[in-house]
Amino acid sequence: MSESALAERFNQVVLPHLGDALALARWLTGNATDAEDVVQDACIKAHAGISGYAGGNARAWLLTIVRNTSYTWMARNRPRAMMAVGDLGDLDDMAAAHGTSLRDEDGPETSLIARADTAALEAAISALPQPFRETLVLRDINGLSYREIAATLDVPMGTVMSRLARARNLLASELGRAP
Amino acid sequence: MTGHDDGLPNDPEGMGLMIHALVDGELDAAAALAVERRIAADPQLAAEHARIVALRGAVGRLPRPDVSDAFRARIAAIGMADTERQDQAEAAQPRRGMPSTLPGLIAGAGQRRQAGTRPSQTGTLPRARRFGSFDWRAMAASIMISAVLASGATQWVMFSGAEDGFAAAVASGHRRSLLAASPIDIGSSDRHTVKPWLDARIGVSPPAPDLAQDGFALIGGRVEVIAGRPVPALVYRHREHLITLVAEPQQGGKTAQPDDLSSSGFSMVHWSDGAFSYWAISDMERPELDDFVARFRKAAV
Repeated sequence: MSESALAERFNQVVLPHLGDALALARWLTGNATDAEDVVQDACIKAHAGISGYAGGNARAWLLTIVRNTSYTWMARNRPRAMMAVGDLGDLDDMAAAHGTSLRDEDGPETSLIARADTAALEAAISALPQPFRETLVLRDINGLSYREIAATLDVPMGTVMSRLARARNLLASELGRAP
Repeated sequence: MTGHDDGLPNDPEGMGLMIHALVDGELDAAAALAVERRIAADPQLAAEHARIVALRGAVGRLPRPDVSDAFRARIAAIGMADTERQDQAEAAQPRRGMPSTLPGLIAGAGQRRQAGTRPSQTGTLPRARRFGSFDWRAMAASIMISAVLASGATQWVMFSGAEDGFAAAVASGHRRSLLAASPIDIGSSDRHTVKPWLDARIGVSPPAPDLAQDGFALIGGRVEVIAGRPVPALVYRHREHLITLVAEPQQGGKTAQPDDLSSSGFSMVHWSDGAFSYWAISDMERPELDDFVARFRKAAV
């Protein structure tokens, strides 16, 4: 493929999804300024690898690169914010430490969740352990399907589903607690 | 919760996953129907369902980050980096393929300059048509005329000619940087950090002497998008003042002595050294900026 065709492809594949890329990077790094740096790095990688893009969902393809770049970037620039994540056993421990109570008798108030203000919701998402947060953001903010998320995170679909459910339960109990 | 033969999980956790999948539109019609029936028959499941719907709605309503024009242009510039570098190697006149990706992305006075100097190229680009319907050739012609009429650098805020448009863009870039969270994209007093950063981003990096001993400390750099293409900008600090130094790669090797373009409370000086065309702007007094320019010119040789 010629240089200009590759450049054209880059424009078509990458540019339309910058908003999603920034949104994901913002939630993975924690702030919008770092997100721009990360997305720029990711786009340089995407540009280098554009010939390897084999069609399919361009957004999912770009977000996979953004996600991986975020963690490389975080490890380099914000090493203290990085939490090493091991296997699923660790995840369960993290969830327990986070004070989740799966399906208690009546559960958190739906009306409180619906009324939650932006700041509270953003704080609650930021407080999610990273594997839950990235799953939730890819699904509810970036709108990827379970299958695309599984491919992006390189985990089985069942893991995506359980992490998503866990993430939402954590958020719901955080927001649904009466003040 | 026993006695269901609808193929759905019977443990609460498994059933919870099915409700999430239903809300996310991941179930086929048969499974969705079965889950909806279970929800209808079980108030606890119904409450869970309502919570998930409410939560999804709340997360979906969160404000999303804006993609600024400047950022979009920066990313678009990456797409042209390879062709750029080739051009550069072959002709030692950088940044000339760039306008083709950028018309329309940065709407601004600076673009007129592009149209004026490169009418044949911009006039034939398909992307230009996609972004807007105005005729580049007519625009170019009108700018040529206005460039003749406007005699050199007069009031750069008036957008009366090509130089002025560029100067105005430099000035507004500087002003914006003062308002932004950070005036720099790469923060370092080490020119060996700043130069490679700029080189990797846009394939050009101007001389970046550290003049800390003279009272002008290099604090970093950023990429400005002016006249539809990315140009390197260095940021120096002098006491509490910031100086933005935009260095536009130049072809033709003209040199020009410093020229005063100050206006609107900002001091601005423009000069060329053959390889780059420099624009220094700051809210310092003019004599101080002249001092900076003199020291920079001496150190950059």
